[in-house]
Amino acid sequence: MSHMTKTKWRALDHCDDNTRDQSDAAVVQNADQSVYNQQVSDEWIIIKDSQDVDVSTTDRQAAVSLQLGIEAAITAVINIAIADGTQSDGVTQDLRQMSKTRQGNRQKTIVEQSRDIEITTTDTDVAINIQLLFQVLAAIVAALDIL
Amino acid sequence: MADNTSKHNAIPEKVVKVMIDDIFRKNNVNPEEVKNNVSNEQRQMLKDMVEDLREQVEQFNNGEKNKTKTDE
Repeated sequence: MSHMTKTKWRALDHCDDNTRDQSDAAVVQNADQSVYNQQVSDEWIIIKDSQDVDVSTTDRQAAVSLQLGIEAAITAVINIAIADGTQSDGVTQDLRQMSKTRQGNRQKTIVEQSRDIEITTTDTDVAINIQLLFQVLAAIVAALDIL
Repeated sequence: MADNTSKHNAIPEKVVKVMIDDIFRKNNVNPEEVKNNVSNEQRQMLKDMVEDLREQVEQFNNGEKNKTKTDE
């Protein structure tokens, strides 16, 4: 073997020794994706010099739209039920304050020199926020005898 | 499916209830009076909306995950 002097295993070694059937295009793609950064959130998943890595993360986009949907629903319920503008504004404001939890998710996952790895991360902040918002909505409609 | 979401509540249901009651009271809102402002039609609409969201929250909690593979 030509790599006898090497002590470190490198995922892309196979590009030299052709043990894996992979085109140049795929190699370029590997390099492109070596730093994978999820949109909007502070979550970082860095994959370097690795192959066959499966990543599952919280779907941030879905989370945000769900959150907005529940918030809109809460506002709609309050506005329909409470005719007085000052009262409904006050209630909405207080509810916002109550359901405002720490935003953002700071996790870093680094995968280096590995193959056949599965990563699953969960953004618990987002999940809890959504659950809490929905609980608030459910409690309001229950208080108003809507359900 | 109107599944029971209470098994993964963020905070206990009773706590939320107390907080909501308190917010109503602080803003001089009497739920008993306010109830009458909602017509049956609106009631049905809001009910459907909440059920719809409940389903979406369930789906989200059941881990609709975003899958990415590095190596096509």
